[in-house]
Amino acid sequence: MSEAIMAKALNDTLGVKRTIKHFDFSEPYWEGTKQKKLLIQYCKATGKYQHFPRPVSIFTGRRRDIEWREVSGKGVVFSYTITERGTPAFRGAEPYAVVSVTLDVGVNFIANIVNCKAEELKIGIKVKPYWHPLDDGTHLLMFQPDRDAA
Amino acid sequence: MSLRDNAIVAYAETKVMEKSDRDVWVLAGEILEELLDKTGIAKDEIDGLVMAGLTGTGAANPFWAQTTADVLGLEVGFCEQVHTGGCSAAGCVARAAAAIDYGMCDVAFLLFADTHVLEDRTDHSHSYRREWTDPYGLMGPPGAFGLLTRAYEAKYGLDYRMLGKLAVTQRNHALLNENACEKLRVPITIDDYMNSRIIADPIRLLDCVMRTDGAAGLLMMSRKRAKEKGLSKCIIPIGYAERTNFKGGENLVDVTKSGHEICGKKALGAAGIGIKDVASFHPYDDFIIAIMLQFEAFGFCKAGEGVQFIRDHDFSYNGDLPLNTGGGQISAGQAACSSHNLVEAVRQLRGEGGQRQVKDTRNALVTGIGWINYGRNWGSSAALVLVPE
Repeated sequence: MSEAIMAKALNDTLGVKRTIKHFDFSEPYWEGTKQKKLLIQYCKATGKYQHFPRPVSIFTGRRRDIEWREVSGKGVVFSYTITERGTPAFRGAEPYAVVSVTLDVGVNFIANIVNCKAEELKIGIKVKPYWHPLDDGTHLLMFQPDRDAA
Repeated sequence: MSLRDNAIVAYAETKVMEKSDRDVWVLAGEILEELLDKTGIAKDEIDGLVMAGLTGTGAANPFWAQTTADVLGLEVGFCEQVHTGGCSAAGCVARAAAAIDYGMCDVAFLLFADTHVLEDRTDHSHSYRREWTDPYGLMGPPGAFGLLTRAYEAKYGLDYRMLGKLAVTQRNHALLNENACEKLRVPITIDDYMNSRIIADPIRLLDCVMRTDGAAGLLMMSRKRAKEKGLSKCIIPIGYAERTNFKGGENLVDVTKSGHEICGKKALGAAGIGIKDVASFHPYDDFIIAIMLQFEAFGFCKAGEGVQFIRDHDFSYNGDLPLNTGGGQISAGQAACSSHNLVEAVRQLRGEGGQRQVKDTRNALVTGIGWINYGRNWGSSAALVLVPE
Protein backbone atom coordinates (compact mmCIF):
# COMPACT_ATOMS: atom_id res chain seq x y z
CA MET A 1 0.00 0.00 0.00
CA SER A 2 1.26 3.46 -0.77
CA GLU A 3 2.39 5.64 2.12
CA ALA A 4 0.91 8.68 0.43
CA ILE A 5 -2.56 7.27 0.93
CA MET A 6 -2.00 6.32 4.54
CA ALA A 7 -1.11 9.91 5.36
CA LYS A 8 -4.33 11.29 3.85
CA ALA A 9 -7.61 11.64 5.66
CA LEU A 10 -10.49 9.58 4.35
CA ASN A 11 -13.55 11.40 3.14
CA ASP A 12 -16.75 10.19 4.81
CA THR A 13 -18.82 10.71 1.57
CA LEU A 14 -21.75 12.02 3.66
CA GLY A 15 -22.02 15.00 1.31
CA VAL A 16 -22.62 12.85 -1.75
CA LYS A 17 -26.17 13.10 -3.11
CA ARG A 18 -27.76 9.66 -3.43
CA THR A 19 -31.06 8.67 -5.02
CA ILE A 20 -31.59 4.92 -4.91
CA LYS A 21 -34.11 3.02 -7.00
CA HIS A 22 -35.31 -0.03 -5.05
CA PHE A 23 -36.24 -3.44 -6.38
CA ASP A 24 -39.69 -4.39 -5.09
CA PHE A 25 -38.30 -7.54 -3.47
CA SER A 26 -35.88 -5.50 -1.36
CA GLU A 27 -38.48 -2.96 -0.21
CA PRO A 28 -38.78 -4.50 3.32
CA TYR A 29 -35.09 -3.74 3.80
CA TRP A 30 -35.56 -0.07 2.93
CA GLU A 31 -38.74 0.20 5.04
CA GLY A 32 -36.71 -1.06 8.00
CA THR A 33 -34.06 1.58 7.51
CA LYS A 34 -36.66 4.32 8.10
CA GLN A 35 -36.51 3.27 11.79
CA LYS A 36 -32.76 2.55 11.53
CA LYS A 37 -33.51 -1.15 11.70
CA LEU A 38 -31.27 -3.51 9.76
CA LEU A 39 -33.39 -6.29 8.24
CA ILE A 40 -31.57 -9.14 6.51
CA GLN A 41 -33.19 -12.04 4.64
CA TYR A 42 -33.23 -15.32 6.55
CA CYS A 43 -33.92 -18.75 5.08
CA LYS A 44 -36.19 -20.69 7.45
CA ALA A 45 -35.42 -24.01 5.77
CA THR A 46 -31.64 -23.83 6.16
CA GLY A 47 -31.24 -21.40 9.06
CA LYS A 48 -28.91 -19.17 7.05
CA TYR A 49 -28.93 -15.46 6.23
CA GLN A 50 -28.37 -14.02 2.76
CA HIS A 51 -27.41 -10.59 1.41
CA PHE A 52 -28.08 -8.85 -0.98
CA PRO A 53 -31.86 -9.41 -0.97
CA ARG A 54 -33.25 -11.88 -3.50
CA PRO A 55 -36.78 -12.91 -4.52
CA VAL A 56 -35.97 -16.49 -3.43
CA SER A 57 -33.75 -18.26 -0.94
CA ILE A 58 -30.39 -18.80 -2.66
CA PHE A 59 -30.11 -21.99 -0.60
CA THR A 60 -33.40 -23.67 -1.56
CA GLY A 61 -34.73 -21.70 -4.54
CA ARG A 62 -38.05 -21.17 -2.73
CA ARG A 63 -39.80 -17.82 -2.16
CA ARG A 64 -41.67 -19.22 0.81
CA ASP A 65 -38.51 -19.98 2.78
CA ILE A 66 -37.56 -16.29 3.05
CA GLU A 67 -38.33 -14.06 6.01
CA TRP A 68 -36.80 -10.79 7.19
CA ARG A 69 -35.03 -10.66 10.54
CA GLU A 70 -33.66 -7.68 12.39
CA VAL A 71 -29.93 -8.04 13.09
CA SER A 72 -27.40 -5.99 15.08
CA GLY A 73 -25.33 -4.80 12.14
CA LYS A 74 -22.17 -5.45 14.09
CA GLY A 75 -19.33 -7.16 12.32
CA VAL A 76 -15.70 -7.12 11.27
CA VAL A 77 -14.05 -5.62 8.21
CA PHE A 78 -13.47 -8.45 5.72
CA SER A 79 -11.79 -6.25 3.11
CA TYR A 80 -11.62 -2.64 1.97
CA THR A 81 -10.48 -0.50 -0.94
CA ILE A 82 -9.65 3.19 -0.96
CA THR A 83 -10.96 4.90 -4.07
CA GLU A 84 -8.72 7.59 -5.48
CA ARG A 85 -10.85 8.28 -8.55
CA GLY A 86 -14.51 7.87 -7.75
CA THR A 87 -17.63 7.18 -9.76
CA PRO A 88 -19.21 10.35 -11.27
CA ALA A 89 -21.50 10.98 -8.28
CA PHE A 90 -18.51 10.69 -5.93
CA ARG A 91 -16.12 13.00 -7.81
CA GLY A 92 -14.55 15.42 -5.38
CA ALA A 93 -15.20 13.10 -2.43
CA GLU A 94 -11.99 11.10 -2.96
CA PRO A 95 -10.22 9.48 -1.29
CA TYR A 96 -12.98 7.43 0.29
CA ALA A 97 -13.12 3.90 1.58
CA VAL A 98 -15.47 1.13 0.55
CA VAL A 99 -15.51 -1.73 3.03
CA SER A 100 -16.86 -5.25 2.90
CA VAL A 101 -18.03 -6.17 6.38
CA THR A 102 -18.82 -9.67 7.59
CA LEU A 103 -21.87 -9.18 9.82
CA ASP A 104 -22.21 -11.33 12.93
CA VAL A 105 -25.00 -13.28 11.18
CA GLY A 106 -22.63 -14.42 8.44
CA VAL A 107 -23.22 -12.19 5.43
CA ASN A 108 -20.87 -9.74 3.76
CA PHE A 109 -22.19 -6.20 3.37
CA ILE A 110 -20.44 -3.61 1.17
CA ALA A 111 -20.70 0.01 2.38
CA ASN A 112 -18.79 3.18 3.24
CA ILE A 113 -17.13 3.75 6.60
CA VAL A 114 -17.29 6.95 8.65
CA ASN A 115 -15.56 8.28 11.78
CA CYS A 116 -12.55 6.28 10.72
CA LYS A 117 -9.02 7.46 10.08
CA ALA A 118 -7.00 5.89 7.28
CA GLU A 119 -4.48 4.41 9.69
CA GLU A 120 -7.29 2.87 11.74
CA LEU A 121 -8.83 1.02 8.79
CA LYS A 122 -7.60 -2.54 8.79
CA ILE A 123 -8.98 -5.96 7.96
CA GLY A 124 -10.46 -7.47 11.11
CA ILE A 125 -11.44 -4.28 12.97
CA LYS A 126 -14.81 -4.36 14.66
CA VAL A 127 -17.51 -2.09 13.27
CA LYS A 128 -21.08 -1.13 14.02
CA PRO A 129 -23.81 0.58 11.98
CA TYR A 130 -23.90 4.27 11.13
CA TRP A 131 -27.22 5.34 9.62
CA HIS A 132 -26.99 8.12 7.05
CA PRO A 133 -30.36 9.81 6.34
CA LEU A 134 -31.52 10.08 2.74
CA ASP A 135 -34.10 12.49 1.31
CA ASP A 136 -36.80 9.80 0.91
CA GLY A 137 -36.93 9.03 4.64
CA THR A 138 -34.85 5.89 4.39
CA HIS A 139 -31.36 5.58 5.81
CA LEU A 140 -28.25 4.31 4.07
CA LEU A 141 -26.33 1.77 6.14
CA MET A 142 -22.70 2.72 6.64
CA PHE A 143 -20.27 1.45 9.23
CA GLN A 144 -18.08 3.04 11.90
CA PRO A 145 -15.41 1.58 14.16
CA ASP A 146 -16.91 -0.11 17.23
CA ARG A 147 -14.40 1.16 19.76
CA ASP A 148 -16.41 -0.15 22.73
CA ALA A 149 -16.33 -3.74 21.46
CA ALA A 150 -14.13 -6.10 23.39
CA MET B 1 -19.36 -36.03 -33.21
CA SER B 2 -17.78 -34.09 -30.40
CA LEU B 3 -15.97 -30.84 -29.72
CA ARG B 4 -12.73 -32.17 -31.19
CA ASP B 5 -14.37 -33.09 -34.49
CA ASN B 6 -14.47 -29.35 -35.23
CA ALA B 7 -11.83 -26.99 -36.50
CA ILE B 8 -10.96 -23.32 -36.42
CA VAL B 9 -9.86 -22.83 -40.02
CA ALA B 10 -8.99 -19.13 -40.01
CA TYR B 11 -8.72 -16.05 -37.81
CA ALA B 12 -8.86 -12.33 -38.52
CA GLU B 13 -8.17 -9.29 -36.39
CA THR B 14 -8.11 -5.51 -36.73
CA LYS B 15 -5.59 -3.32 -35.01
CA VAL B 16 -6.73 -2.27 -31.54
CA MET B 17 -7.70 1.41 -31.45
CA GLU B 18 -8.04 3.85 -28.55
CA LYS B 19 -11.29 4.87 -30.22
CA SER B 20 -12.59 3.50 -33.47
CA ASP B 21 -12.59 5.83 -36.47
CA ARG B 22 -15.25 3.70 -38.20
CA ASP B 23 -18.54 2.02 -37.37
CA VAL B 24 -18.60 -1.37 -35.66
CA TRP B 25 -20.19 -2.92 -38.76
CA VAL B 26 -17.37 -1.62 -40.95
CA LEU B 27 -15.01 -3.50 -38.63
CA ALA B 28 -17.27 -6.58 -38.88
CA GLY B 29 -17.12 -6.32 -42.68
CA GLU B 30 -13.33 -6.15 -42.59
CA ILE B 31 -13.21 -9.33 -40.51
CA LEU B 32 -15.66 -11.16 -42.79
CA GLU B 33 -13.70 -10.14 -45.88
CA GLU B 34 -10.40 -11.26 -44.38
CA LEU B 35 -11.79 -14.66 -43.37
CA LEU B 36 -13.30 -15.26 -46.82
CA ASP B 37 -10.10 -14.18 -48.55
CA LYS B 38 -7.91 -16.35 -46.33
CA THR B 39 -9.98 -19.51 -46.83
CA GLY B 40 -11.50 -19.13 -50.27
CA ILE B 41 -14.86 -19.97 -48.71
CA ALA B 42 -17.81 -18.37 -50.52
CA LYS B 43 -19.97 -16.03 -48.47
CA ASP B 44 -23.03 -18.21 -49.11
CA GLU B 45 -21.34 -21.18 -47.48
CA ILE B 46 -21.49 -19.41 -44.11
CA ASP B 47 -24.67 -20.61 -42.43
CA GLY B 48 -23.88 -19.87 -38.79
CA LEU B 49 -23.31 -16.53 -37.07
CA VAL B 50 -22.07 -16.71 -33.49
CA MET B 51 -21.42 -13.37 -31.80
CA ALA B 52 -20.00 -12.51 -28.43
CA GLY B 53 -22.61 -10.76 -26.32
CA LEU B 54 -19.94 -8.74 -24.55
CA THR B 55 -20.63 -5.62 -26.57
CA GLY B 56 -21.10 -2.04 -25.47
CA THR B 57 -22.22 -0.85 -28.89
CA GLY B 58 -24.81 -3.61 -29.38
CA ALA B 59 -25.89 -3.82 -25.75
CA ALA B 60 -29.19 -1.98 -26.11
CA ASN B 61 -30.31 -3.82 -29.24
CA PRO B 62 -32.05 -7.11 -28.38
CA PHE B 63 -31.74 -8.09 -32.06
CA TRP B 64 -28.01 -7.48 -32.33
CA ALA B 65 -26.95 -10.75 -33.98
CA GLN B 66 -29.92 -10.76 -36.38
CA THR B 67 -29.34 -7.13 -37.33
CA THR B 68 -25.67 -7.88 -37.91
CA ALA B 69 -26.54 -10.89 -40.11
CA ASP B 70 -28.75 -8.57 -42.16
CA VAL B 71 -26.10 -5.87 -42.48
CA LEU B 72 -23.54 -8.44 -43.67
CA GLY B 73 -25.97 -10.20 -46.02
CA LEU B 74 -25.69 -13.56 -44.22
CA GLU B 75 -28.49 -16.16 -44.32
CA VAL B 76 -27.93 -18.59 -41.48
CA GLY B 77 -29.41 -21.64 -39.82
CA PHE B 78 -27.83 -20.80 -36.50
CA CYS B 79 -27.84 -17.23 -35.17
CA GLU B 80 -26.49 -16.88 -31.68
CA GLN B 81 -25.25 -14.32 -29.21
CA VAL B 82 -23.24 -15.67 -26.30
CA HIS B 83 -23.73 -13.95 -22.96
CA THR B 84 -21.03 -15.08 -20.59
CA GLY B 85 -19.23 -11.73 -20.45
CA GLY B 86 -15.49 -12.10 -20.91
CA CYS B 87 -15.98 -15.85 -21.37
CA SER B 88 -18.05 -15.23 -24.49
CA ALA B 89 -15.24 -15.54 -27.04
CA ALA B 90 -14.19 -19.00 -25.83
CA GLY B 91 -17.87 -19.79 -25.31
CA CYS B 92 -18.55 -18.98 -28.98
CA VAL B 93 -16.07 -21.69 -30.03
CA ALA B 94 -17.86 -24.32 -27.92
CA ARG B 95 -21.32 -23.25 -29.06
CA ALA B 96 -20.33 -23.11 -32.72
CA ALA B 97 -18.91 -26.63 -32.41
CA ALA B 98 -22.11 -27.82 -30.75
CA ALA B 99 -24.23 -26.26 -33.49
CA ILE B 100 -22.07 -27.87 -36.20
CA ASP B 101 -22.25 -31.23 -34.41
CA TYR B 102 -26.02 -30.95 -34.13
CA GLY B 103 -26.37 -30.04 -37.79
CA MET B 104 -27.72 -26.54 -37.32
CA CYS B 105 -24.93 -25.12 -39.46
CA ASP B 106 -21.90 -26.28 -41.44
CA VAL B 107 -19.73 -23.17 -41.55
CA ALA B 108 -19.82 -20.84 -38.58
CA PHE B 109 -18.63 -17.23 -38.57
CA LEU B 110 -17.59 -16.26 -35.03
CA LEU B 111 -17.67 -12.48 -34.80
CA PHE B 112 -16.16 -10.40 -32.01
CA ALA B 113 -16.73 -6.77 -32.96
CA ASP B 114 -17.24 -3.90 -30.56
CA THR B 115 -16.67 -0.16 -30.40
CA HIS B 116 -17.50 0.42 -26.74
CA VAL B 117 -15.31 3.52 -26.58
CA LEU B 118 -16.90 5.14 -29.63
CA GLU B 119 -20.44 4.13 -28.69
CA ASP B 120 -21.28 2.48 -25.37
CA ARG B 121 -24.88 1.49 -24.66
CA THR B 122 -24.13 -0.67 -21.64
CA ASP B 123 -26.73 -0.31 -18.88
CA HIS B 124 -26.18 -1.89 -15.47
CA SER B 125 -29.23 -0.31 -13.85
CA HIS B 126 -31.21 -3.55 -13.53
CA SER B 127 -28.62 -5.22 -11.31
CA TYR B 128 -27.52 -5.30 -7.69
CA ARG B 129 -25.37 -2.27 -8.38
CA ARG B 130 -28.18 0.27 -8.10
CA GLU B 131 -28.99 -0.58 -4.50
CA TRP B 132 -25.91 -2.27 -3.11
CA THR B 133 -22.75 -0.78 -4.62
CA ASP B 134 -23.54 2.43 -6.57
CA PRO B 135 -24.75 4.22 -3.40
CA TYR B 136 -21.34 3.55 -1.88
CA GLY B 137 -19.27 4.67 -4.87
CA LEU B 138 -17.75 1.25 -5.43
CA MET B 139 -16.17 1.75 -8.81
CA GLY B 140 -17.15 -1.31 -10.86
CA PRO B 141 -14.36 -3.76 -11.62
CA PRO B 142 -11.41 -1.81 -10.10
CA GLY B 143 -13.33 -1.44 -6.83
CA ALA B 144 -14.30 -5.10 -6.78
CA PHE B 145 -10.73 -6.18 -7.53
CA GLY B 146 -9.48 -3.80 -4.84
CA LEU B 147 -11.60 -5.66 -2.29
CA LEU B 148 -10.53 -9.01 -3.73
CA THR B 149 -6.84 -8.14 -3.79
CA ARG B 150 -6.77 -6.95 -0.20
CA ALA B 151 -8.65 -10.05 0.96
CA TYR B 152 -6.05 -12.20 -0.84
CA GLU B 153 -3.21 -10.22 0.72
CA ALA B 154 -4.69 -10.69 4.19
CA LYS B 155 -4.97 -14.43 3.67
CA TYR B 156 -1.69 -15.23 1.94
CA GLY B 157 0.47 -12.12 1.76
CA LEU B 158 1.24 -10.51 -1.59
CA ASP B 159 4.46 -9.23 -3.16
CA TYR B 160 3.15 -6.61 -5.56
CA ARG B 161 6.44 -6.55 -7.44
CA MET B 162 5.66 -10.03 -8.72
CA LEU B 163 2.37 -8.74 -10.14
CA GLY B 164 4.56 -6.08 -11.71
CA LYS B 165 6.66 -8.80 -13.32
CA LEU B 166 3.55 -10.11 -15.10
CA ALA B 167 2.65 -6.58 -16.22
CA VAL B 168 6.14 -6.07 -17.67
CA THR B 169 6.11 -9.45 -19.46
CA GLN B 170 2.78 -8.70 -21.11
CA ARG B 171 3.92 -5.20 -22.05
CA ASN B 172 7.04 -6.62 -23.69
CA HIS B 173 4.77 -8.86 -25.74
CA ALA B 174 2.62 -5.91 -26.82
CA LEU B 175 5.79 -4.21 -28.08
CA LEU B 176 6.14 -7.16 -30.48
CA ASN B 177 2.46 -7.08 -31.50
CA GLU B 178 1.70 -4.64 -34.30
CA ASN B 179 -2.03 -5.04 -33.68
CA ALA B 180 -1.77 -3.93 -30.04
CA CYS B 181 -3.09 -0.47 -29.20
CA GLU B 182 -0.33 2.02 -30.07
CA LYS B 183 -0.82 3.97 -26.85
CA LEU B 184 0.19 0.90 -24.86
CA ARG B 185 3.25 -0.01 -26.93
CA VAL B 186 5.64 1.76 -24.56
CA PRO B 187 8.11 -0.22 -22.43
CA ILE B 188 7.51 -0.36 -18.68
CA THR B 189 9.52 -1.57 -15.70
CA ILE B 190 8.46 -3.14 -12.41
CA ASP B 191 9.13 0.24 -10.79
CA ASP B 192 6.80 1.90 -13.30
CA TYR B 193 4.15 -0.62 -12.26
CA MET B 194 4.73 0.00 -8.54
CA ASN B 195 4.68 3.79 -9.02
CA SER B 196 1.66 3.91 -11.31
CA ARG B 197 -1.29 5.93 -10.06
CA ILE B 198 -3.52 4.29 -7.46
CA ILE B 199 -7.07 3.85 -8.78
CA ALA B 200 -8.79 1.82 -6.05
CA ASP B 201 -6.07 1.02 -3.53
CA PRO B 202 -4.41 -1.48 -3.81
CA ILE B 203 -5.30 -1.53 -7.54
CA ARG B 204 -2.93 0.58 -9.61
CA LEU B 205 -3.35 1.99 -13.10
CA LEU B 206 -1.00 -0.65 -14.55
CA ASP B 207 -3.12 -3.41 -12.99
CA CYS B 208 -6.09 -2.38 -15.08
CA VAL B 209 -7.27 -3.17 -18.56
CA MET B 210 -8.00 -0.18 -20.81
CA ARG B 211 -11.18 -0.20 -22.88
CA THR B 212 -10.37 0.05 -26.56
CA ASP B 213 -12.12 -0.62 -29.88
CA GLY B 214 -11.55 -3.30 -32.47
CA ALA B 215 -12.78 -6.53 -33.98
CA ALA B 216 -11.71 -10.11 -34.55
CA GLY B 217 -13.26 -13.27 -35.89
CA LEU B 218 -12.85 -16.98 -36.50
CA LEU B 219 -14.24 -19.36 -39.07
CA MET B 220 -15.21 -22.85 -37.91
CA MET B 221 -16.40 -26.04 -39.58
CA SER B 222 -16.10 -29.79 -39.04
CA ARG B 223 -12.61 -31.24 -39.41
CA LYS B 224 -14.00 -33.45 -42.14
CA ARG B 225 -15.22 -30.46 -44.15
CA ALA B 226 -11.97 -28.60 -43.54
CA LYS B 227 -10.05 -31.56 -44.91
CA GLU B 228 -12.35 -31.80 -47.94
CA LYS B 229 -11.77 -28.11 -48.58
CA GLY B 230 -8.03 -28.61 -48.36
CA LEU B 231 -7.72 -26.08 -45.53
CA SER B 232 -4.41 -26.43 -43.74
CA LYS B 233 -3.10 -25.39 -40.33
CA CYS B 234 -6.44 -25.99 -38.65
CA ILE B 235 -6.74 -25.53 -34.90
CA ILE B 236 -8.80 -28.05 -32.95
CA PRO B 237 -10.67 -27.35 -29.70
CA ILE B 238 -10.14 -30.49 -27.60
CA GLY B 239 -11.48 -29.42 -24.22
CA TYR B 240 -13.90 -26.77 -23.03
CA ALA B 241 -15.80 -26.03 -19.85
CA GLU B 242 -17.41 -23.01 -18.23
CA ARG B 243 -18.89 -22.22 -14.83
CA THR B 244 -21.27 -19.39 -14.09
CA ASN B 245 -22.15 -18.24 -10.57
CA PHE B 246 -19.64 -20.48 -8.81
CA LYS B 247 -20.97 -21.29 -5.33
CA GLY B 248 -23.99 -19.12 -6.12
CA GLY B 249 -26.08 -21.16 -3.73
CA GLU B 250 -23.83 -20.27 -0.82
CA ASN B 251 -23.58 -17.01 1.01
CA LEU B 252 -20.11 -16.53 2.52
CA VAL B 253 -17.46 -17.89 0.17
CA ASP B 254 -13.69 -17.82 -0.13
CA VAL B 255 -13.20 -15.00 -2.65
CA THR B 256 -9.76 -16.32 -3.64
CA LYS B 257 -11.44 -19.39 -5.21
CA SER B 258 -13.24 -19.25 -8.55
CA GLY B 259 -15.12 -21.41 -11.03
CA HIS B 260 -11.81 -21.95 -12.83
CA GLU B 261 -11.12 -24.71 -10.31
CA ILE B 262 -14.01 -26.65 -11.78
CA CYS B 263 -13.85 -25.77 -15.45
CA GLY B 264 -10.05 -26.08 -15.54
CA LYS B 265 -10.18 -29.71 -14.38
CA LYS B 266 -13.05 -30.46 -16.73
CA ALA B 267 -11.47 -28.87 -19.83
CA LEU B 268 -8.03 -30.36 -19.21
CA GLY B 269 -9.64 -33.73 -18.46
CA ALA B 270 -11.55 -33.66 -21.74
CA ALA B 271 -8.34 -32.67 -23.51
CA GLY B 272 -6.48 -35.51 -21.83
CA ILE B 273 -3.59 -33.34 -20.70
CA GLY B 274 -2.28 -32.31 -17.31
CA ILE B 275 -1.61 -28.74 -16.24
CA LYS B 276 2.14 -29.34 -16.50
CA ASP B 277 1.66 -30.20 -20.18
CA VAL B 278 0.29 -26.73 -21.00
CA ALA B 279 2.63 -25.27 -23.63
CA SER B 280 1.38 -21.69 -23.60
CA PHE B 281 -1.14 -19.95 -21.36
CA HIS B 282 -3.55 -17.27 -22.56
CA PRO B 283 -5.57 -16.31 -19.49
CA TYR B 284 -8.23 -13.64 -19.38
CA ASP B 285 -6.62 -10.53 -17.92
CA ASP B 286 -8.83 -7.70 -16.75
CA PHE B 287 -6.55 -7.11 -13.74
CA ILE B 288 -3.04 -8.46 -13.26
CA ILE B 289 -3.99 -10.34 -10.09
CA ALA B 290 -6.58 -12.31 -12.06
CA ILE B 291 -3.67 -14.01 -13.86
CA MET B 292 -2.11 -15.02 -10.56
CA LEU B 293 -5.42 -16.30 -9.21
CA GLN B 294 -5.74 -18.44 -12.33
CA PHE B 295 -2.26 -19.95 -11.81
CA GLU B 296 -3.65 -21.16 -8.50
CA ALA B 297 -7.13 -22.18 -9.65
CA PHE B 298 -5.88 -24.18 -12.64
CA GLY B 299 -3.31 -25.95 -10.48
CA PHE B 300 -0.09 -24.53 -11.93
CA CYS B 301 0.66 -24.01 -8.24
CA LYS B 302 -1.14 -24.42 -4.93
CA ALA B 303 -3.48 -21.83 -3.43
CA GLY B 304 -1.45 -19.03 -1.88
CA GLU B 305 1.68 -19.88 -3.87
CA GLY B 306 0.98 -17.68 -6.88
CA VAL B 307 3.68 -15.15 -6.02
CA GLN B 308 6.32 -17.85 -5.70
CA PHE B 309 5.17 -19.39 -8.98
CA ILE B 310 5.62 -16.03 -10.71
CA ARG B 311 9.07 -15.63 -9.15
CA ASP B 312 10.11 -19.09 -10.38
CA HIS B 313 9.00 -18.85 -14.02
CA ASP B 314 9.73 -16.92 -17.17
CA PHE B 315 6.48 -16.01 -18.91
CA SER B 316 7.95 -14.37 -21.99
CA TYR B 317 7.22 -15.88 -25.40
CA ASN B 318 10.56 -17.72 -25.29
CA GLY B 319 10.32 -18.58 -21.59
CA ASP B 320 9.22 -21.79 -19.88
CA LEU B 321 5.52 -20.82 -19.75
CA PRO B 322 4.65 -18.27 -22.46
CA LEU B 323 1.85 -16.00 -21.20
CA ASN B 324 -0.49 -13.84 -23.29
CA THR B 325 2.07 -13.48 -26.03
CA GLY B 326 0.12 -10.72 -27.78
CA GLY B 327 0.33 -8.52 -24.70
CA GLY B 328 -2.89 -9.69 -23.12
CA GLN B 329 -5.77 -7.29 -22.86
CA ILE B 330 -3.93 -5.21 -20.30
CA SER B 331 -1.16 -4.32 -22.74
CA ALA B 332 -2.91 -4.74 -26.11
CA GLY B 333 -6.21 -3.15 -25.08
CA GLN B 334 -9.60 -4.58 -24.13
CA ALA B 335 -11.18 -4.74 -27.55
CA ALA B 336 -13.09 -7.09 -29.85
CA CYS B 337 -15.34 -8.50 -27.11
CA SER B 338 -12.25 -9.65 -25.18
CA SER B 339 -11.32 -12.18 -27.86
CA HIS B 340 -7.70 -11.24 -28.47
CA ASN B 341 -6.11 -13.78 -26.13
CA LEU B 342 -8.06 -16.52 -27.94
CA VAL B 343 -7.08 -15.21 -31.38
CA GLU B 344 -3.45 -14.95 -30.26
CA ALA B 345 -3.48 -18.61 -29.16
CA VAL B 346 -4.81 -19.65 -32.57
CA ARG B 347 -2.14 -17.55 -34.28
CA GLN B 348 0.63 -19.09 -32.17
CA LEU B 349 -0.51 -22.67 -32.78
CA ARG B 350 -0.48 -21.96 -36.53
CA GLY B 351 3.13 -20.81 -36.17
CA GLU B 352 2.25 -17.28 -37.25
CA GLY B 353 3.48 -15.47 -34.14
CA GLY B 354 6.26 -13.70 -36.04
CA GLN B 355 8.78 -12.04 -33.71
CA ARG B 356 6.96 -13.44 -30.68
CA GLN B 357 6.45 -17.01 -31.92
CA VAL B 358 6.51 -19.57 -29.11
CA LYS B 359 8.64 -22.68 -29.62
CA ASP B 360 6.24 -25.23 -28.16
CA THR B 361 3.02 -25.31 -30.19
CA ARG B 362 1.68 -28.64 -28.95
CA ASN B 363 -1.27 -26.90 -27.28
CA ALA B 364 -2.57 -23.67 -25.74
CA LEU B 365 -4.86 -23.02 -22.79
CA VAL B 366 -7.21 -20.05 -23.21
CA THR B 367 -9.48 -18.80 -20.43
CA GLY B 368 -12.32 -16.42 -19.80
CA ILE B 369 -13.56 -14.31 -16.92
CA GLY B 370 -16.93 -12.67 -17.13
CA TRP B 371 -18.96 -10.20 -15.11
CA ILE B 372 -18.41 -8.87 -11.62
CA ASN B 373 -20.65 -10.23 -8.88
CA TYR B 374 -21.36 -8.85 -5.41
CA GLY B 375 -18.42 -9.09 -3.03
CA ARG B 376 -16.92 -12.22 -4.60
CA ASN B 377 -14.59 -12.34 -7.61
CA TRP B 378 -16.31 -12.86 -10.94
CA GLY B 379 -19.48 -14.38 -12.34
CA SER B 380 -18.28 -16.68 -15.12
CA SER B 381 -15.11 -18.71 -15.66
CA ALA B 382 -14.15 -20.60 -18.82
CA ALA B 383 -11.31 -22.78 -20.08
CA LEU B 384 -10.56 -23.88 -23.64
CA VAL B 385 -7.74 -26.17 -24.75
CA LEU B 386 -6.58 -25.86 -28.37
CA VAL B 387 -4.18 -28.00 -30.38
CA PRO B 388 -2.96 -27.81 -33.97
CA GLU B 389 -4.40 -30.41 -36.38
